[in-house]
Amino acid sequence: MALLEAKGIKKSFGGVTALKNGNLTCNCGKITGLLGANGSGKSTISKIISGIYKKDEGTIIYDKKEINFSSPSESKQNGIAMVFQNLSLIPDLTVWQNIVLGNESKKKVFLDTENAMSVSKSILDELNPRININQKVRNLNSAQQQIVEIAKALVSNPRLLFLDEPTAALEREEVKNLFKYMRKLASKGVGMIFTSHRLDEVLEICDDIIVFRNGEDVGTIDFEKEGKDKKTILSLLTGSSDFNSTKKVYKDIKDVCILELHDLKHGKELNGIDLKLRKGEILGIGGLAGQGQTELMLALAGYYNDIKQKAILDGQEIKLNKVSTMIRNGIYLVPGDRQKEGLFMNCSLYQNMLYSKMGHKQPLFIPRKKYRDEARQIVKELSIKTDSIDTVVLTLSGGNQQKIVVGKWLPFDVKVLLLSDPAKGIDIAAKKELYDYIMKLVNEKSMSAILYASDNNELIDYCDRLLIMFEGKVVKELNKNEINDRNIVAASLHVKDEGGELG
Amino acid sequence: MKQKLYNKLKFFTSKQEFSTIIILLLMLVGMSLLQNGFFTRRVIVSNINAFLPLILLSMGQAIVIVSGGLDMSCGNAMALMLCAMTKIMKADSPYTGVIAILVCILLSLAVGLANGFLVGYLRLPAIIATYATSYIWLGLALFITPTPGGEIVNWFKIFYDFSAVKGCAQWIKTIGSVLAPSVIMILLACTIWFFIGKKKLGRYIYAVGSHDDNAYYSGISTTKVHIKAYVINSLFIMMAALYFAGQNGAGSANIGETLTLQTVAAAVVGGVALSGGKGNVFMAIVGAIIMSLVSKIIYYINVPSAWQSFVSGVIIIIAISASAIYSYAEKRNLLREVN
Amino acid sequence: MMNSKNILLKYKKTFIALLLIVLTFVVGELIMVGVKGADPGSFLSVNQVLITIKLATFISLFGLCEMIVISTGGDMDLSVGWIATLAAIFSTRIMDGKNQNLLIAILIAIGVGAAFGLLNGLLVSYAKLPSLVVTLAMGNIIQGLINAYTTGIHISGEPSPIVKKLAAKYTGIVPNIVTILLILCIIVIIIIYKTKIGVKLLSIGSNPNTAYLSGLNIKLIRMIAFIASGAIAGIIGILLVGNAGTAYKDMGSNYLMPGIVAVVVGGVSVKGGEGNYFAVILGAIVLQTLTNLFVSLGWGDAGKWTGYGLILILMLITYVRNKRSR
Repeated sequence: MALLEAKGIKKSFGGVTALKNGNLTCNCGKITGLLGANGSGKSTISKIISGIYKKDEGTIIYDKKEINFSSPSESKQNGIAMVFQNLSLIPDLTVWQNIVLGNESKKKVFLDTENAMSVSKSILDELNPRININQKVRNLNSAQQQIVEIAKALVSNPRLLFLDEPTAALEREEVKNLFKYMRKLASKGVGMIFTSHRLDEVLEICDDIIVFRNGEDVGTIDFEKEGKDKKTILSLLTGSSDFNSTKKVYKDIKDVCILELHDLKHGKELNGIDLKLRKGEILGIGGLAGQGQTELMLALAGYYNDIKQKAILDGQEIKLNKVSTMIRNGIYLVPGDRQKEGLFMNCSLYQNMLYSKMGHKQPLFIPRKKYRDEARQIVKELSIKTDSIDTVVLTLSGGNQQKIVVGKWLPFDVKVLLLSDPAKGIDIAAKKELYDYIMKLVNEKSMSAILYASDNNELIDYCDRLLIMFEGKVVKELNKNEINDRNIVAASLHVKDEGGELG
Repeated sequence: MKQKLYNKLKFFTSKQEFSTIIILLLMLVGMSLLQNGFFTRRVIVSNINAFLPLILLSMGQAIVIVSGGLDMSCGNAMALMLCAMTKIMKADSPYTGVIAILVCILLSLAVGLANGFLVGYLRLPAIIATYATSYIWLGLALFITPTPGGEIVNWFKIFYDFSAVKGCAQWIKTIGSVLAPSVIMILLACTIWFFIGKKKLGRYIYAVGSHDDNAYYSGISTTKVHIKAYVINSLFIMMAALYFAGQNGAGSANIGETLTLQTVAAAVVGGVALSGGKGNVFMAIVGAIIMSLVSKIIYYINVPSAWQSFVSGVIIIIAISASAIYSYAEKRNLLREVN
Repeated sequence: MMNSKNILLKYKKTFIALLLIVLTFVVGELIMVGVKGADPGSFLSVNQVLITIKLATFISLFGLCEMIVISTGGDMDLSVGWIATLAAIFSTRIMDGKNQNLLIAILIAIGVGAAFGLLNGLLVSYAKLPSLVVTLAMGNIIQGLINAYTTGIHISGEPSPIVKKLAAKYTGIVPNIVTILLILCIIVIIIIYKTKIGVKLLSIGSNPNTAYLSGLNIKLIRMIAFIASGAIAGIIGILLVGNAGTAYKDMGSNYLMPGIVAVVVGGVSVKGGEGNYFAVILGAIVLQTLTNLFVSLGWGDAGKWTGYGLILILMLITYVRNKRSR
C-alpha cells in the first residue's frame, strides 16, 4: 500500500530550477533508497515532502490524503519525521532531554523525567547501547550525536521517516545496528526513504531505489524483482554520455610542480590529503558534496589557524595557518559562498575592490582615482552588468556578483587561483561567461588553478586532471582522457566491484 | 576501591561550581578572622540583609543569562519600583501600602514584558536593548523622585524586619530573629526557581540559551521563552524593591546603578556562562555572596572605600576571563576525545 | 555616475538626522511659544542653535570614540567617560594654569587613554570577552583609581590658557570648540574614507570573514580601534577641563550614553562597517536639542535619560532589527 505518492513536483529557487518533474513513491513497511548526484533534486524533494520547502507545483498524497505541509512541526505532528545532517540538537542538554525535546510528557504538574529517560533508553539500546543517556550532547562525538538525532526523530513514532545521509558519521557497527532497527520499523509498517553516499549501504538496506538526475526521477529499481546490478544503477545515474562540446585548449603543462601538499589534516573533514599541482595546470577536485572539498580549499587559502602541516610552493615551505601568508605568496581564493566569504554585500562594487586590496601593502592615502579607474577596467574586462562602480553589490545578479569575486584579484600577481565551486547557484549562461573568463585569465597569465565544482560538467569541461574526494581523502585520480561523467560518478560513490573499482 | 574514590573526587573537583564553593568557604573563613562574632546569629542575619538585593537580582540575572539574554537594566528597574512605591505611600494611611504593592506588581510586569518583547520578539541584541531600557527606567524614576525622598507605611517594614512593625505579635518577632524577611525572600525565590526547573519552561530556558535556532527547529517558541525569562527576572527585582522599601523607608533614583554590573559578575562567578544554556541559577546566590564579602573584606582590612569600584571592576574581569578560559578548555578537551 | 537620486539614497540616514534636528527645533519652538507662552525665538534662534551645537560638541567627541569602536564590528567602549575624567585630572595638575606644560599634558592624556585602550583591546579582541562587560568593568576600575586618587584632596590645577580659549571661549558668535569640531570632522572623514587605516577599519566591520580572506589581521585592527578610542578620550579630557575650568570626579560619565545614542541616531550602522562622522555629529545635535526641550519644559535630567533611552530603542528597532529569517 502506497504510504506516500508525490507526483509532478516542481520547485525553483530564484531563477534556478531544482526540480522540474519529481515523482516519488514509498510503500508502507518498505525502505526506499534515494540516489542522485549533486543538484539532482533528491534532497529538494525530501525537504518539500517534510515541510521545509513549499512546492511550486505538483501533488503529494500521504496516507491517502493530499497534503501540503508548511512547516517541519506540522509534518511531524502528522507522522512524518526527518533526520537531516544539520543536527537539531541542543548541546547543553543531556541525551535523553534532547530525544524528548518538544515532546515532553507530564506527570501531574511537572515533567515526567522517568518516562522520558526510559523511552530514550529503549530507543538508544537498539541503536547504540553504549551511549550514556545522561551525557550532555556537546560531549558526544559526531557519530554519537547522529545516533541521538535519529533517536529524536523516532520517539515521535513516525509513519514515514526520511533519513538523509544518516550513516555519514557512523562507524560500521553503528550502521549495522541502525539497519537492524530500520528493518524492525519496516516490519511495523513504517515507510522509510534513505540516502547515503555509500552505494554499498544503499544496496544492503533498501528494498528499492529511485534515481534522480537533473531535477527529475529517471528510473526505479525494485531489488526484489530486478536484482541488484551496479552497472544498471550507474547508467541511470549518469544517463547517456553526451560528451560536452567545449573545445579543450591543450596547454603546455610543464612537469614543474608548483604546489605540493602532504597528508593535510584538519578536524574531521580532512583526513590526510596528498596533492601535487603542476605549473599551468587546472587541477579539479570532485566528489559528492560534503566530502571535505570546501574545507580543502579553505585550508589552502590559509583560513584555518590551527593547521599544522605546511605546503610546498615552488620548492619552499610555507605555513598554512594565516591567510596573509598565502596571499603574500600569490595564492588567492575565489570562495563559493559569496555572501559569507566572497563579498562585502552592503558595499559598492568599488568598495569591494578596494577592501580586497587592504591585505597588501598600501600607501597611507588611498590612490582613489587610480583604484577607481582600475575598478572600471575590471568591470569592462569581465562584462559586469552594472550602471556604475558605486552600485551596492547586493543588488547585482549572482553571476555578476561572482564576477566581482573573481575580478577583485586581477590587479595582483596570482600564482595559484583556488576556485571553490565558483559557479554555484548561477544560471547556465552566466556560468559559461564566468568560466570563459576564468579560463582566459588562467591561460593568459599562466596561472595554475585548483577548481572544486559540485557540478560534474564543469569539471569535465575545464580540468586537466581530476582528484575525487571521499570522506576527507583523495580516492581517485583521473587523467585528462579519463575525465567523463561515468568515471566521476563511479569514483564519487567509491564503488568497488570485486577486484578493482568500477569505471 | 581507591580508584573509585579517586574518580569520584576527580568528578567533583572538575566541576566549575567546586572552585566557586571553595572560594566562598575561604572568604567565610577570612571574614570570621577579621570580624569578631561573624558567625553569631545577629551578624549573619544582618549580613544576609545587606546582601539581599544583590542576591535576588543576581538570581534573576542568572535566569536571563541562561536563556541566552542579558539584563543591563535590573538595577534601575529596581530603583523605579522603589521610587514609585515610596511616592505612593503615605505613612499615615495604611491602605496606600496595598496600592503601592499593586503598582509595583504592574511595573514589574511592564519591565519584564518590555525587555522580553524587545529581545524575544523584535530580536534586538539584548545587551544594547537593555542598556537602553535601563535609562528609561532611570529617567522615569527621576521623574517620580528627583531627589531622594518618599515614605512608607509602617507595616511595610514587614519586608525588612518583623520587629520594627508596630503591633507585631511576639511569636512572629521570635521567628523573625532567625527567619528574617530577607531569608524568607531568598527561600521563596529558590522555591520558585526550583519548581520552574521541574517544568517544561525550565528545560526550555536552557534549550533556548544553549542553541536558539535548534530549539526553534525542535518546535519550541523561543519568543515566549525569552519573554517568560525576563518576567521571572522582574519578579525577583520586585522582591528586592519591596525589601529596599521596607529597609530604607525612602526612595532614590540612583540606588540601582552600580548594582547591575555586579549582578552580571555574581552570575558569572556562580558559574553561569555568558553565552547561555549553562549554569546553575542557585550558584548565583553564592556568586552574590562572594561579591558582597569582597567589599566587606576590603573594609575590614582597612582599604579605603574609594577602592571599591576598582576591586569590583578587577573581579568582574577576572571572573569573565576565567569563565572564558574554562569554556575554551572544555571545547579543546572535546576535540582531543574525538581524535 | 552619481546623480542626485543616488546621493539621496546613499545618505538617506544622514538626511533623516538633519530632518530630526529641524523638526525638534520647530516643535520645541512651537511648544515654548504656543503652549508655555515664552517669547518667540527663545528656543529657535541663531544664538540658541549655536549654543546647542556647542553643548552637543562633547557628545559628538565621545561619539567619535564610539563610532571608531562600533565601526569594526559592533563592539562598544563604555570606559571612555572615565578615561576622559582621569586624563582631565592628570592634565589639569600638569598644566597648572600655564601654557608651558601643555604638550606634556597632552602626551600624558593620550598615553593614559591609549594604555587603557590597549587593555580593553587585548581583552575584547584577543581574549574574545564581550566588549560591553569588559569596558564597563574597566570604567569601574578607572573610577576606583580616580576615587582613590582624589579622596580628601581637592583636585588642584587649572587648564592652560590656550586650552581654556579653545574649549570655552568664542570667536565672534561661534564657539571655538565648534570650530575645532568641524575641523576634526573633516580630518576624521578623510582618515576613514581616504586613508588605508580607515578603509581597513570599515572593511573588517563590513564583513570580518571576507576581510580575513583578503589578508587582513582582524584581531590587530580591532585592538587598534580600542587604543584609538582611549587616546581620543584622553584628549577629550583636556578639552573637558578647559571648558569647565577645573576637573571633578564625574566630568565624563554623563556623556557616555548619549555618545553611543548619537551614533545610532546618526544612522551609522551598529553592526559595523560605516564611519560617517558627520552623521554622528548630527545625531548628537538631535539629542542635545531634545535635552534643551526637556530642560525648557522643566523635566531636567529625568526627561533627558528617558528620552535618550526611548530614542535608542526606536533607532534600534528601525535600523537594527535582526530579520526574522524564519
